[in-house]
Amino acid sequence: MTVFRTGLLRCALLGVGLTMAAALSAQQAPPAAPPAAAPAPAAAPSPTTLELKAAQGKAPSSADLQKGDPAGTITGTISDVPVADTSVGLTVPDVATQVGQNKIAINFVWTLITGFLVMFMQAGFAMVESGLCRVKNANHTYMMNFVVYGCGLFAYWVLGFAIQMGGAAGNGNLGGLASLTPEFSIPFFGKTWGLFGQSGIFLAGHTYDVGVMVIFLFEMVFMDTALTIVTGACAERWKFVTFCVSSVLMGALTYPLFGNWAWGGGWLSQLGTNLGLGKGYCDFAGSGVVHAVGGITALAVSLIIGARIGKFNRDGSSNAIIGHDISAVMIGCFILAFGWFGFNPGSTLGASANGNLRIGSIAVNTMLAGCTGTFGAMLYMWMTKGKPDASMAGNGLLAGLVAITAPSGFVNPTGSAIIGLVAGVLVCLSVVFVENNMKVDDPVGAISVHGTCGLWGVLSVGLFADGTSNYGGSWNGVSGSVTGLFYGDASQLAAQLVGISTLLGFVFTFSYVLNVVLDAFLGQRVSAESELAGLDLPEMGQLGYPEFVFRSEPEFLTGALRSAAVA
Amino acid sequence: MAANQAQGRYLTLFLAALTVLCAGIAYFSSGIGKLVGLVGVVGLVAALAGFSSIKGGEGKTPQRGGASGLKATGAILAAAGWILVLVGIQIVTTTGGRIVLGLLGIGVSLYGITSVLPAAYNKNASWKG
Repeated sequence: MTVFRTGLLRCALLGVGLTMAAALSAQQAPPAAPPAAAPAPAAAPSPTTLELKAAQGKAPSSADLQKGDPAGTITGTISDVPVADTSVGLTVPDVATQVGQNKIAINFVWTLITGFLVMFMQAGFAMVESGLCRVKNANHTYMMNFVVYGCGLFAYWVLGFAIQMGGAAGNGNLGGLASLTPEFSIPFFGKTWGLFGQSGIFLAGHTYDVGVMVIFLFEMVFMDTALTIVTGACAERWKFVTFCVSSVLMGALTYPLFGNWAWGGGWLSQLGTNLGLGKGYCDFAGSGVVHAVGGITALAVSLIIGARIGKFNRDGSSNAIIGHDISAVMIGCFILAFGWFGFNPGSTLGASANGNLRIGSIAVNTMLAGCTGTFGAMLYMWMTKGKPDASMAGNGLLAGLVAITAPSGFVNPTGSAIIGLVAGVLVCLSVVFVENNMKVDDPVGAISVHGTCGLWGVLSVGLFADGTSNYGGSWNGVSGSVTGLFYGDASQLAAQLVGISTLLGFVFTFSYVLNVVLDAFLGQRVSAESELAGLDLPEMGQLGYPEFVFRSEPEFLTGALRSAAVA
Repeated sequence: MAANQAQGRYLTLFLAALTVLCAGIAYFSSGIGKLVGLVGVVGLVAALAGFSSIKGGEGKTPQRGGASGLKATGAILAAAGWILVLVGIQIVTTTGGRIVLGLLGIGVSLYGITSVLPAAYNKNASWKG
């Protein structure tokens, strides 16, 4: 029995073990997978993707590039296009993104380089103005033109740019400038009119933007041109500290206000959309915004400051006070003409898309107007006075350039030549009128060159704009091309007249009142004693040419008028 | 006396105050911005007061005062021509009418600027003796 029990026990244990092993094995085994589905066919690559891949395959290899590329035929290829997803490879969106980057980069570079040219015009202004002044004021005159750059840049950075461009979002050439918003606007006779911008003080916050930096630099150098114009008209007697304060305030307030109205989305540019006046006030590169603002402010300050001692006799007749360096004047004029290639063509704010290929036309228009302006002034002086006066020939060049500044983007070469020729004659007439009729002393002719010819430039847009330009199909929000009276649109002339009225009525009055206040607190003019001695030593502490031996000035400058001046 | 250290100090104060004022304007919506702006205004007023205090010691200029009424008239005429255009173009709706209005307004402004104001300043001009 015992053997049987033992055997039976062993069989039971064996069975339990086998059962447990089977159960364990069943738990460990994965569930049976369903039968595998057949793989889906891969989507066929698009023809464009295939082309891109084929082109990538044909691109120069590293081995090719290591051999050097003297002809430049294998540098800059499809391999240089950034790829968003390397696992996918080059795609059409990658290419489109690079196209967009290229457009903006081209426009950035164009705007910056032309802005650098305009900045260099400060040197031209310095040479022209100092050359037309007496040697005893050379240091002072050069210093005004040197320091005005800093005064203007400072004022524009702390406030002026925000007022002028703080609401100017929407420029497609520079990436949209979307952070330049909003524009402060008011209702007037049922329409909304922009007055000033509200973004961009110190270029901080959301205006710390690559596109905003570009437009800031470009607009700043234009603003500084307006400021430096005033130094010429007030040379040889303007107190240096008052010049500094006046320039800062002009860069912070006067210029930016009108600049906003014309270029920053303000009310002058809205005359077309709100009242149907052409394309609104049009000023391509600033005959009005820059030159007329500068010339008109120069007139305001010159009135307050008064004529130089010895400029006028008791009977009202004027005396010519000759400048000390005509070579500086002539070279300075050429520097200005060179810089104007940045001033006018650069005002497209781009060289890619939106009609910007017109930059060559604009440059040629600029050259032609300068040329005919020179001839206009030189021939007028030659026929009336008997000599081809060098300083007036230089002013004629500048007059033509100033006058073409506003219409340069809208007119043809023939119109440009006419505009320049008229400006050349006009500047001669204006100089005589300002000096002999108004009895305003302007040592360099800044009021006539920039004020009078700047206004002529604004007017000429309304006359000569030929309707062939196309900067993205519209201007100031009005579709179509800028067209003047002679080509069929009288309403454009009306818009330009509103701009001229604003320059005369607002800019002059604002500048005049501002500088009357400064005269009351600071005094605009140096003492008669300093003026007679020359401003270099009293104001600057150093002569411009310390090794020169100065000859005595003519009697009319130092004689009885000295006693009258200090009476 | 011409350029001097006091001028340099007050110009520095003016520039600093203007910077502070603009910082206040930038952050005007906040309480601290308003306070900063007020500091800037005070600084500007102090600078102007300082300039005024030293002005008398800088020597006699050839400028002569007077004719204030005529000067004000000239400035008012300059502005009036512009106001005439601003309002007139809203009322007159024809292009020809707006051109005429523009020319009229320009004429008024130019009369004030080129005739009335120079006459005011030349009335007591130093070169007249």
